[in-house]
Amino acid sequence: MPLKEWLHFDDKCEEGSVPAFLKQQLNMADFEERRSLLGDENEDRGPGRPLPAICDPSHVLHRVVVLIFMCFLGFGSYFCYDNPAALQTQVIQDMNLNTAEFMQLYAWYSWPNVVLCFLGGFLIDRVFGIRLGTIIFSLFVCVGQVIFAAGAWSNHFWLMEAGRFVFGIGGESLAVAQNTYAVNWFKGKELNLVFGLQLSMARLGSTVNMNIMGWVYSKVAVAVGSSGHTTLGISLMIAAGTCVFSLICALVLGFLDKRAERILHKEQGRTGEVIKLTDVKDFSLSLWLIFIICVFYYVAIFPFIGQGQVFFIEKFNFSPAQARAVNSIVYIISAPASPILGFIVDKTGRNIGWVFAAVIATLCAHMMLAFTFWNPWIAMSLLGVSYSLLACALWPMVAFVVPEHQLGTAYGFMQSIQNLGLAVIAIAVGVIVDIRGYLVLEVFFCACICIALMAVVGLYFVDYLKGEGLNRSAAERAKLQKETAEHAE
Amino acid sequence: MAPAGTGGIFVILVIFVFSSCESLFSGGDSYKRELTVKLYPNSTPSGGELLHVRAVGGNDTLHSLFCSQGAPTLLLVHTNSNSSTVEVNWPEFLARNTSGSLKVEPQSSILYSTAIVFSRLLEYNDENDTAEAKSNFFPAYELKDFIWAQMNLSDSTVTLCGSPTRSGNGSLCLQLSVFGSEGRADLWPRLLHSANSSQLEVWLNGLPPRSIMSRFVLELQAVGGAYPLSRVNVHQFIDDEYTPSIFQVSQWVSSPNNGSDVLGFAQWKPVAYRTPHATLEDATPCRNSDPQQQSGNSTSASSALIKAFYSDPAAIGLNVSFGIAGEPYYNSTMFLSWTMLVGIGSPPVDSFSPMVIGILTAGLGIPILLLLGGGVYVLIAKKRESSGTGYEPIN
Repeated sequence: MPLKEWLHFDDKCEEGSVPAFLKQQLNMADFEERRSLLGDENEDRGPGRPLPAICDPSHVLHRVVVLIFMCFLGFGSYFCYDNPAALQTQVIQDMNLNTAEFMQLYAWYSWPNVVLCFLGGFLIDRVFGIRLGTIIFSLFVCVGQVIFAAGAWSNHFWLMEAGRFVFGIGGESLAVAQNTYAVNWFKGKELNLVFGLQLSMARLGSTVNMNIMGWVYSKVAVAVGSSGHTTLGISLMIAAGTCVFSLICALVLGFLDKRAERILHKEQGRTGEVIKLTDVKDFSLSLWLIFIICVFYYVAIFPFIGQGQVFFIEKFNFSPAQARAVNSIVYIISAPASPILGFIVDKTGRNIGWVFAAVIATLCAHMMLAFTFWNPWIAMSLLGVSYSLLACALWPMVAFVVPEHQLGTAYGFMQSIQNLGLAVIAIAVGVIVDIRGYLVLEVFFCACICIALMAVVGLYFVDYLKGEGLNRSAAERAKLQKETAEHAE
Repeated sequence: MAPAGTGGIFVILVIFVFSSCESLFSGGDSYKRELTVKLYPNSTPSGGELLHVRAVGGNDTLHSLFCSQGAPTLLLVHTNSNSSTVEVNWPEFLARNTSGSLKVEPQSSILYSTAIVFSRLLEYNDENDTAEAKSNFFPAYELKDFIWAQMNLSDSTVTLCGSPTRSGNGSLCLQLSVFGSEGRADLWPRLLHSANSSQLEVWLNGLPPRSIMSRFVLELQAVGGAYPLSRVNVHQFIDDEYTPSIFQVSQWVSSPNNGSDVLGFAQWKPVAYRTPHATLEDATPCRNSDPQQQSGNSTSASSALIKAFYSDPAAIGLNVSFGIAGEPYYNSTMFLSWTMLVGIGSPPVDSFSPMVIGILTAGLGIPILLLLGGGVYVLIAKKRESSGTGYEPIN
């Protein structure tokens, strides 16, 4: 699932690597706590008796409880996002689809997010507030998945597509809400750990989905007596159970947050995002090249995983269970790899070099899958590592080329065109498979990666000639920061 | 910027390269033959016609004979003279008593001959959905007992349909296409053919199955004088452009002494289609059994063409079973179609289409060019900077 990865990329708490608007939030949260601590001395704190540690919102134990709920908040939506991929053969057979129609399920998820990426922060900050917003987005996720399952049950494909559309409205915005909660509760050193944990939970959800849904389907088929759209509907309803669980977590979180606000006298969390669409005209050439890399890279990953199961079954003669397992390896690897690679990229700098390495590695992985019969575990593992590496190296670059007040717009725009690319390419992928087969599909993915590669090469030279310093090493950057700080004094 | 101009030149270069390489990459066999078709009609009540296509090349001839008397048979005879002819003693041929009623003159010019006989259509009840084709067989359809209609001839394609009984609904049809040059069929599996091969498409249309879980098996026999088709090689191939999701090709070859020289072949992709104008979802895998020696005498008895041409045939049989566990049964569409290529010499080898090669060349070449071009530009810019004067005069 296309995470709002710029909120997860740094697991190492480096002042310089935390994006600016998050710093804004941190400062705001710090200020509020300082005010409330001062206020505590003079105000009455309710009943007057000390609360047990687990119920005390300022105590670490309570925050751990909140952390658990926060992590499971997103679990349902990540679990259900890749349901079509995990049940590809069953969906295609039971609903009588071709690959193009199947990929529509992914396209419909991405369409609402083309617009919502700009509105998410605004809705949370100005319209709903973090608590109500989280509950509403969770509700969308839950209702969307239920509509999706109902569509399968009643054998109406258009209803399934509508369900994915509703699911999409909630899914991406829920990630924004989850991160806002994290910043609000875990300011300071723990924040990166929390981001890392949330990322791992997200990947865990995707992995569990890939490996379990097939088994769930077969058990339901045995219970119902035959496979068919009813079995599919029931399996998807069971998957919707995770969304109900996430909804419960959202309600509990809302309650705990309101309670903490009452006890600690702090304000509701805000995303701090400021979106101004007119800022787009100020984007530099480097930023546009970064956008191109982002779009053309991710369209070679997510749509590929979306229909990967049948590819592995047909080409490599894998069993369905094996095919699902190898399909999920990208997520399994990225859970531990992201924090490690994030640490490495933070320490060494040279972001463009890392992006270049990641793109080349992905190109090699796709060429291996296209032109050889080598064990696909190799190629998919390489894909997992390079995908994590790119996330750690690409998203921070935006913060280096965009002034702070435009950062929200830049990230929102990047997410928006990424979703647009995913929606369009998901459909193209299905059509290509139906008409020309898997080799042409892999060549198409290689072509997309090559376009990203051209953009990386272009970015390197543009950056070199303009001296913007995207490719500086971490030591150089630290030195520069010290110098500018000294100059400011 | 320099890379932009370089990019334009590169695109022109790419187009030039792969238009001149098109022949290189498209299979390589540009041998052509002239085709002449002759149909021997049959006015006797037993029916059964003989079709003879004479494909003349530079200094050799390939005779394709297709007969519907008894079991449908395709016979290919390769001679090393471009004036060889086929002589048929039609009354003797129809009597099916003696061999030698069909002769290729001059006899000494025959290089190689091979025949494929469609002997039986088997049907079994796959109640456990395992597609093992080992038990629960219904009585087999003997194709020699089918009532065959008249051959429908158009260009160099002939269609032959038959059904089990005179008033039966549903039929088994065979379509033979003889080729004079290299090319590729239009419909899936889009097998690549050369001038040395003919394509046979077999399809079941509307034949009522005898159970709701029926699957079919087609029995083929390869007949040859000295070296009939003996073993099946399965090759993996990375290009599924022409037959999406199929990465294998099966070749039933005749190679003397198990050497690497291939005298004749039957080639197919292990896929059958469940609708006439198939889409990807209508593909169903098929498997073949190991070739097994069979009685040449009973093959002679079942096919008039074999009896007429071969005096002492050796027959090797092979079963092609359609569908695997989990696939829909025959009664879902009541249609099943499978295509094979029969020919002499080595089987044609598929290759990438120019589009794939073009995209890859452009995709990999342009970044390399950009890298080189950008590097050169940066070097030149640096040199200009360092060679120019550092300071400019004030006035």
